[in-house]
Amino acid sequence: MKPNRRRFLRGIGGAVLALPGLECLSAAGAAVNRPPLRMAHFYVPIGVVRRGFFPGEQDDVIPKGNLGNVMQSLGKQDPNHKVRPLDKLTPTMEPLEDLRSHVSLITGMDRTFQQGTDVHAQCASCYLSSARPYTVQGSAWPLDRTLDHIVADHIGTKTPFRTLEFSCNSHRDNRESIYFDNISWYGTGHLAPSIRDPRKMYRRLFSTSEIKQSREITSLVLEDARSLQRELGSADRQKFSEYFDSIRSIETQMTRLETMKAELAQVNLEEPVASHLPRGEYIRLMGDLMVTALQTGLTSVATFMVGPERWDTPYLFESLFDKPRSHHQMSHNQTKMIDDLLKVDRFHMEQFAHLARRMRDITEADGSSLLDNTLFTYGSGLGDGSTHQYNDLPIIVAGGGSRTQTGLHIHMPEGTPLANLWLTQARLIGLPIDSFADSNGEISDWVA
Amino acid sequence: MMNARCYQTAIFRSLKSVLLVSWFGIAAIAVGDELDQPGAAGVLRVVEARCVQCHGETDEPEGNVDLTALKLSQLEDDAALVRKLMHVIETREMPPEGEAPLEADLRERTLAELKSILHVAVQKNSNSVQTPMRRMNRFQYNNAVVDLFDLNCIVFTLPERAMRGYKDYFDPASGRMPDIVTVGNRPLGKSQMIEPRLAGVAAFPQDLRAEHGFDNQADHLSLSPLLMDEFLKLGQSITDSPDFTPKQVGIWNTFFAAPENSAMLTSVERTEEIRSRLSPFLTKAFRRPVSADQLNRYTQFAAGQIDAGVEFPDAMKAVAAATLASPRFLYLYDTSHPERGAAPVEADDFELASRLSFFFWGSIPDETLLEIAASGRLSEQDTLAAQIDRMLSDKRMKRFCDSFPSQWLQLDRLVSSVPDRNRFPDFYFSKYRLSMHMMLEPLLIFETVFVENRPITQLIDSDFTYRTAKLDQAYGPLNCASGKNSGDQVTTLTFQRLPVTDRRNGGVITNAAVMTMTSGPERTKPITRGAWIAGVVFNDPPKPPPANVPPLPEKPQAGEEHLSLRERLAAHRERTDCRGCHEQIDPLGFALENYDAVGLWRDQYENGTPVDPSGELFREDRFASVTEFKDAILRDRRRFCRAFAGHLFAFALARELAPADEVALDAITDAAADDDFRMRTLMRQIVLSQPFRTK
Repeated sequence: MKPNRRRFLRGIGGAVLALPGLECLSAAGAAVNRPPLRMAHFYVPIGVVRRGFFPGEQDDVIPKGNLGNVMQSLGKQDPNHKVRPLDKLTPTMEPLEDLRSHVSLITGMDRTFQQGTDVHAQCASCYLSSARPYTVQGSAWPLDRTLDHIVADHIGTKTPFRTLEFSCNSHRDNRESIYFDNISWYGTGHLAPSIRDPRKMYRRLFSTSEIKQSREITSLVLEDARSLQRELGSADRQKFSEYFDSIRSIETQMTRLETMKAELAQVNLEEPVASHLPRGEYIRLMGDLMVTALQTGLTSVATFMVGPERWDTPYLFESLFDKPRSHHQMSHNQTKMIDDLLKVDRFHMEQFAHLARRMRDITEADGSSLLDNTLFTYGSGLGDGSTHQYNDLPIIVAGGGSRTQTGLHIHMPEGTPLANLWLTQARLIGLPIDSFADSNGEISDWVA
Repeated sequence: MMNARCYQTAIFRSLKSVLLVSWFGIAAIAVGDELDQPGAAGVLRVVEARCVQCHGETDEPEGNVDLTALKLSQLEDDAALVRKLMHVIETREMPPEGEAPLEADLRERTLAELKSILHVAVQKNSNSVQTPMRRMNRFQYNNAVVDLFDLNCIVFTLPERAMRGYKDYFDPASGRMPDIVTVGNRPLGKSQMIEPRLAGVAAFPQDLRAEHGFDNQADHLSLSPLLMDEFLKLGQSITDSPDFTPKQVGIWNTFFAAPENSAMLTSVERTEEIRSRLSPFLTKAFRRPVSADQLNRYTQFAAGQIDAGVEFPDAMKAVAAATLASPRFLYLYDTSHPERGAAPVEADDFELASRLSFFFWGSIPDETLLEIAASGRLSEQDTLAAQIDRMLSDKRMKRFCDSFPSQWLQLDRLVSSVPDRNRFPDFYFSKYRLSMHMMLEPLLIFETVFVENRPITQLIDSDFTYRTAKLDQAYGPLNCASGKNSGDQVTTLTFQRLPVTDRRNGGVITNAAVMTMTSGPERTKPITRGAWIAGVVFNDPPKPPPANVPPLPEKPQAGEEHLSLRERLAAHRERTDCRGCHEQIDPLGFALENYDAVGLWRDQYENGTPVDPSGELFREDRFASVTEFKDAILRDRRRFCRAFAGHLFAFALARELAPADEVALDAITDAAADDDFRMRTLMRQIVLSQPFRTK
């Protein structure tokens, strides 16, 4: 580990960092002293080992090979609604032990698979969209504007960045298409690309040097855009709005970053160095950047992919195995590699726990913690990497403070759409909506 | 096309369980009638007699395809359905195995008739298929910036351009590839990413490929605030780079350098000077004439900088950086498409110029092309033909060879291939992998077929290849020369052209690169190989592995040691619903079984069982060896050529092909066939096709 990196982590770690005056930038409508409610999603690819994750499934049959067409649990699922205290954590959830009073496990929620596209491609890309299948015109994907962007339309209007997209995909080959690598979408076919490189993310968050010149350029090219728009056919005109949206976002971003310049200067953060980091450190470094961005008010909405879907290329999970291993291939060989796969699941949970802990330890202006003021969700779009099931997904919600019920295991009745949780989160954040995608209700047990 | 095609293939492949007895009955009764029916009525009769038994007359039609009471008018309204029918008959997917096949004569006539129905369907619903507006991808952006400023270095390094050339070997005008070429492998070779470029310029992320193919596909190239932010900074970092100097920048003197009499100029004269420089510059950047208004705005921008005390060259740099952020530079688009549903209209000459240059050069048109477009003559037959020839002979065609073939062959997969070190120790040397050499062999074969304008059938079976000494030796019994190993080259690699006399060599489908990247670390993966052949060679990719069957363990299980891989696989897929798809793919993969997991020839497996590559291509053409397999592919060479043309067409149009494009594809294939399927003829025909020239 390099000294400057250690300093970096210490610099932003813990509760030492107080950022005066930032709450004035918080979401509209919130009480003056109450910090705004924020949202972050931690996405785990390729599902989990059910035996290790779900209470009561520890003795279920281990899926053999790739059970690609099964698409449901091999063990029997309880169809009934139950709410219990989260007293004993399953092995995969153990890293959350000291956070037990801050999290709730919600099981029994499903997404619906739309025939015609790959199971892995759809489970990630449509996770936060959850559109009702076959409702999105002209696309094979049940993919619509994703939850993070819909929420950001509401609470991202005052932060420099409406949303931030993080990815810990460090693969260097170009193996998979965009649908395997992104959970955040502005709309069908319109990707909100993520940043994989911690240095690049750092510069995006904290560099304000090129602002003046950019401003002159944007006003010049906007004129080009306006005249060009008149020359386009209607379909293209629609797509071309992405250019205006982008320029507008950048301009707002510049204005807001400038206002925050003084405050941001107090953030004791060093630019990450350009070197290979062991996987855990890399994930935590990216995570720390996300936590800092949420803490400082650079954004109120973030998504975080801990790895891409499928992508057979092996990774070196430094602390776990000596050789690079492919997460996807392990998921299809559970009868042989279940112990290794459980390690991967636990490793991802440790990273989630680390970030939740970081948030818990950051005190905000009113004495509550950043975690209290963030809906921080762990989840995967597959219930198991072998069965490729879209039902009974592994979902853990952390944070929310007094707004949520924590320390629970909420098991939803059979057929509860995942979108119910997304609707509940959106409403907690203050969106005046009655439904989201294919939702048919809320997860009321979770709401305080 | 791929998605739709996959889905459709899957549908038809699932039509397997049929009552044999009733089939025979119907077949026997119906044949006579079918043959008597002329034209379209005959097709309907065939469908009725041979298809509806499974596709309709049950509660749940097989594969969700209901062909009950099919009418001609229905077919004429549904080009996609006609294409589906043609496809399953062409590939002999239908009638499925176990059913009476269509009699040869009936099959031919049915196909011919369906083809003419397809033409009617396309004519009748002559909706223009539009390529949506899209931003440039990373590769195009790089090329466009190089061409706009006439840089003599690259902007940033692109690992996606796998092959790095030395000593300027690539010259399509010569019509001949040199016997010796010196190249490097960017993603795998030592120091190959270090090359003359603009310091301080950070690339934006590589564009992932589309679900249906290439990284230039319009529906996948969108813009986000993040990317726009990068474009803004990118433009500035390019002109601010310490390497952005008169030495590197070809247009320095005519564009950036202060006028000689600078100090003497009045403000008005200076503004006029700026305007006269910006006019050609913006025309080139935006690929069409600039309006007076635009020109004024950019001129004011630069003049304003100078008034604010900025030096002349720096003001011009600022305006150049701004140009790179303009949507008129960043976006590829057609002006005023006809509305959806309207008949296509001809693309204007400037649009045609851009289509040509982005297809061939992955970049903006040059001055010549723009001048001809301005004169309004580009779409004239002779002028266009002359321009196609000029462009195909230009060295900028290297960009085509840097983007199309590696994506077509999916060579990127080789980057992450790591054969087992114990099993394949020769694959590794010092800190490198032999794949560094392997990857370039198929690319050089492709370039040769292009440069020498050879028939594209040579992509399957060529009488030459290019190898380094190290690579050639690694082929063991299949080496082409008895040359000595000239050491472990890792920076620049010397490839020598070698004659292929043993047809187990040659072409792009059996070389070590493809064999390695379609294998696992321990063993070959015939099904992966078969799927690769189906997608790459026949443009008919199977659905991603749907099997709920465990993958074959790397090592044989107890009691199976004596079995060949084929026998082991067969034992592992006894389910009838798997068999259908695998009947199509597996023979394609097993045909290549004589090449091991790093492409080395073998006659038997480690356990002593002989390798059996025999099989049937499209359930009709038997082959007993890999050379016979190549023969079988080439016996129906039109099929391969049409498939290849389909890949090329989707690349050229920057979108998925629609059923309406199939008619054009037939015409392209026919025209190319008249010239022995030569590569440049095929490319020329694509440009001359209706979809390429209309919007």
